[in-house]
Amino acid sequence: MHSRSTPRMSTRTPSRRALALAAGATATALVLTACSGGSDGEGGGGGSDDPIVIGISLPLTGDFSEPGKGVQRGYEAWAQFVNEDGGLLGRQVELKILDDQSNADRVVQDYEALIAQDEVDLVFGPFSTRLVVPSARVAQEYGMLFVEPAGAAAEVFEQGFDNLFYAAPAVADDHYNYLADHILAMPEGERPQTVAVAAMDDPFAQGTAYGLRDKLADAGLDVVVDEVYPPNTTDFSSIAAKISDSGADMVIGGTQYQDAVNLIVALQQLDYQPTLAAFSTAPTNPEFAAAIGSKTEGILSPTGYTETASWPSNVEFVERYTELHGNPPGEDEANAYTTGQVVAAAVEAVGCAEQGECQQELVDWLRSNEVETVVGPLTWDETGKPQGAHLIQQYVDGEIQIVLPEDAQEADFVFPKPAW
Amino acid sequence: MTGTLLFQSLVLGVLLGGLYALLAAGLTLYFGVMRVVMIAHSAFLILAAYLAWFFNQQTGMDPLLSLVITVPLFFLVGVGMQRLLITRLRAATLTMMSVLLTFAVALFIEGMIGFVWSGTQRRIQLPYSGASIEFFGARIAVVKLVAFGLAALSLALLYLLMKHSRFGQALRATIQHREAAQLVGIKTDRVAGYGFGLGLATAAIGGTALSLDATIYPSLHWHWIGPLMAIIVVGGLGSIPGAAIAAMVLGIGQSLLQVPLGTTWAQTIFYVALFATLMLRPQGFFGGRLAQRF
Amino acid sequence: MARLAALVVLAVVVLAFPTAAPNAYILSAGIVVLSYACTATAWNFMGGFTGYVSLGHAAFFGLGAYGTGLLIRDLGLPSFVAWLAAGAIVLLVTIPVGIAALRVRGASFVIVSISFVLILLLVFQAWGTFTGGSDGLVVPRPFPDMLRPEHHRTFFYLFAALLAVMLVAWWAIDRSRFGTGLKAVREDEDKAQALGVPTRNYKLVAYVVSATFTGLAGGMYALWFGDLDPIFQFSIMLGAYMVLMALLGGVRHLFGPLLGAVIVGTGLEYFKLEFGDTQFHLVATALLLGVVVLFMPDGIIPAAQALVKRFGPQDSSIREMTAAELLERNRAAAPATTEGDPTAEPTTAVGQEGRHAEGETTTEGPGEGEGPRRGGPGGSSRGTSERMEDAAPRPRTGPEEDR
Repeated sequence: MHSRSTPRMSTRTPSRRALALAAGATATALVLTACSGGSDGEGGGGGSDDPIVIGISLPLTGDFSEPGKGVQRGYEAWAQFVNEDGGLLGRQVELKILDDQSNADRVVQDYEALIAQDEVDLVFGPFSTRLVVPSARVAQEYGMLFVEPAGAAAEVFEQGFDNLFYAAPAVADDHYNYLADHILAMPEGERPQTVAVAAMDDPFAQGTAYGLRDKLADAGLDVVVDEVYPPNTTDFSSIAAKISDSGADMVIGGTQYQDAVNLIVALQQLDYQPTLAAFSTAPTNPEFAAAIGSKTEGILSPTGYTETASWPSNVEFVERYTELHGNPPGEDEANAYTTGQVVAAAVEAVGCAEQGECQQELVDWLRSNEVETVVGPLTWDETGKPQGAHLIQQYVDGEIQIVLPEDAQEADFVFPKPAW
Repeated sequence: MTGTLLFQSLVLGVLLGGLYALLAAGLTLYFGVMRVVMIAHSAFLILAAYLAWFFNQQTGMDPLLSLVITVPLFFLVGVGMQRLLITRLRAATLTMMSVLLTFAVALFIEGMIGFVWSGTQRRIQLPYSGASIEFFGARIAVVKLVAFGLAALSLALLYLLMKHSRFGQALRATIQHREAAQLVGIKTDRVAGYGFGLGLATAAIGGTALSLDATIYPSLHWHWIGPLMAIIVVGGLGSIPGAAIAAMVLGIGQSLLQVPLGTTWAQTIFYVALFATLMLRPQGFFGGRLAQRF
Repeated sequence: MARLAALVVLAVVVLAFPTAAPNAYILSAGIVVLSYACTATAWNFMGGFTGYVSLGHAAFFGLGAYGTGLLIRDLGLPSFVAWLAAGAIVLLVTIPVGIAALRVRGASFVIVSISFVLILLLVFQAWGTFTGGSDGLVVPRPFPDMLRPEHHRTFFYLFAALLAVMLVAWWAIDRSRFGTGLKAVREDEDKAQALGVPTRNYKLVAYVVSATFTGLAGGMYALWFGDLDPIFQFSIMLGAYMVLMALLGGVRHLFGPLLGAVIVGTGLEYFKLEFGDTQFHLVATALLLGVVVLFMPDGIIPAAQALVKRFGPQDSSIREMTAAELLERNRAAAPATTEGDPTAEPTTAVGQEGRHAEGETTTEGPGEGEGPRRGGPGGSSRGTSERMEDAAPRPRTGPEEDR
């Protein structure tokens, strides 16, 4: 039906079309250029009175929004306290936070925009290992120091980054070390014999759970269930059914937040009663107890942070944070705050905070120095791996308390776990 | 796999299948009356769950009571959507364009939920959240049982309405043969509007049932629309009994497959069934020839 | 001449952009827009020619991206060899999928297209040992020594070259007999079939071409971006963006998808940067899609042309008209339609008046007409309700009737 052509149409229309398109493309290029022109002045310069702008991308929506917001609170508290105390190098600190929607594509664009377009002076890391690796690469290629609060999985440190530092005491695989030692120290007859593992398909969550699983399996314990679920899983009834049916003595959850809540509720619905139950991340969240109906007794969790720790900066941090928010900081907040402390220490020591050569000086300084933080003194190896260990907490008498190692103990290790 | 686990999975599958059946019935109803693939169905489902959660947050009352508000509200929204949006589309491209239009509605709902209640995952905490009853060796969570009961009751009501009321007859006539229905004096446009409202009401009920025992977040609806669309194709587009039966079979199948395969692989059953249906019987197992042509 | 000049201007703008871009971020945003333009143009090989709306083209994008990454990782192929091989894999995979998907029309086709994305998402998430699962896959850089801005610049030109190839291919098909056959499918598939167009094979070829180009765009993206994650490669949103961009610009026009991509891509970058901490970009996308579908389903280019035409000389040609537009015009100008459509309903023997009545009834279909119903003799003579339903929403009149 298009065989007969009208000459006028066939010549005129396409040219009009093409002209419009060319005009559109030109306009877009101009708009893009203009956008960037506007913000050039703000970020750059680096005069002594300008604020130090710190670029951050966080998952404020999406799968990791819960911990992401915790990290945001920690960063904001850090900036506020620093500014109240007179700033960094006498300059005020300003955070520019973008939302990456828990999305790796976004996080790269975000850091690219922060570094190249907004020309921020410093960057802080995002949340979750999955987002740390791509964003660390951007920072690396722009030569930026990259201190991050959450990329604890082993693979982060295997990428060959030389600008990356993890601002927490230990990497994911080592989180349960004290617990593994404690279980293996029990007499053969008393300790759990069978283990059920369920882990989110996420490098951090799997790192924690598999670190413990492998240590126990090496010592001869039976792994009877080993499940992996994708991050967007909401229905845990069948995983719970499998765990319950296996009758495992011990359950290990490689979890973030909501998945732990869902899994525990599903296990409760099946009336499964293990003698030990360990879940990463979630139990340290202040809303955890309410979310699972306060049946928390005996649940274990590793933590890199405790609000009662007596490190000097921590006492001050907890006090000021509690005054600000009405509740003490959690682990996510503390890790973010630690990131701020680490970068601040380097900035104060080196005496600069801007893009360019300054960044390498900051990296070099951190390589060879120890930093006092709210999670204790931190040092790093050449891959950016911290050289410490995590504490083990347990819900005892309705409170989450440190039970391992024994020299940091706030309460006795409860075994077997009371029914939930 | 032990017998208990098998039976437990079967029970879970039946409970899940019930919810799928109700929701798929709604989805296939839109198609029946309007030839519309309503991508926004599951977005409304999640919206209803959010409303139930919000109701529970604000009043502290049982989320089931929010049905009193959401069901009539969704019915009206459905009628309005059919009248104001769907009928504006050109007839020749209705099916394709309606997919895009309802897709836009789904995105809008997702965005607005995120806007109003943020992307944080939500879950209703009820006193009976962790409670369960024993059933021949299987454990049935009370919340799942309530959700299933609600779905089964609604489906039964829908069935009675379709089979034994004048409106139901008019609706079925419209689905089967719109022009003939008009000839015998049925106001098919009005009936189609009510059919749309009815479909959306199933989303309201399903969402409330879902909110009892699930974590909700704005983009959760993508998780639901895929299986539901597969179900209505397998059941035969436009066939409500077909959708219900396919939903039950696939729901149970998914639950049983989770035992050997794990959750992710088990979900592929819906799509495997979809592709198999298209290869073997493109009109679906319970649908007429209508299904193949749209 | 004017057309040539416009093309030159366009080419100059594209080629000069990397030099004009003030910083690497703008350049990377430009690459994102170009990659959108590639995917939307690739989508348009199917959507534009045949009128089949696929919401699942992200599946091919993801397959191309992962294919490229996995071939480099597991077989150690050179980057661009892996890229071409991945395109070939997508081509092969699309054939059976296309056969299954094209057994059905309209609604079921959309459902299949979405389902294909969802099933691939599940497979790539679950098959962690092969695909990297939710941890994602890191694709090695083809040019490891390049600095980031230089790397961006190179890929900007690579994407531009890919887009140019696609545009030339689209242009060639548009003018070919094959293209005419596809467009016949779009306007009235039954009639096209009756006239001897091998509709199934034509559709399949269009689908495969469309998918392969989408896969190549995905592979290029993988080489540029480096980090793949199943959730974002096999994302329904990506497929929806392709549809939105093509529709917004105009699916019947060579540069329609490109124009749409420039508008939507720039808008998305802007919204995410300025309102990044909200879901605002979703709402904006939804509203834009809704407006396009409801008020200008033919896109900006025809709308702009219509505006220009209003002030220009009146043109009586119907070449650029769709069957749907014609229907509406015919309906408005009733009873102009007197010539029936013998090929579509060979068994229906009714008089002119009856046929006209039927034509009117059926064209309105489920869209619910306001006009008086004069009954459908065709329906009663055929007996089965399904047959009648089948015919209902499709246009019964062709452009010839207007003459």
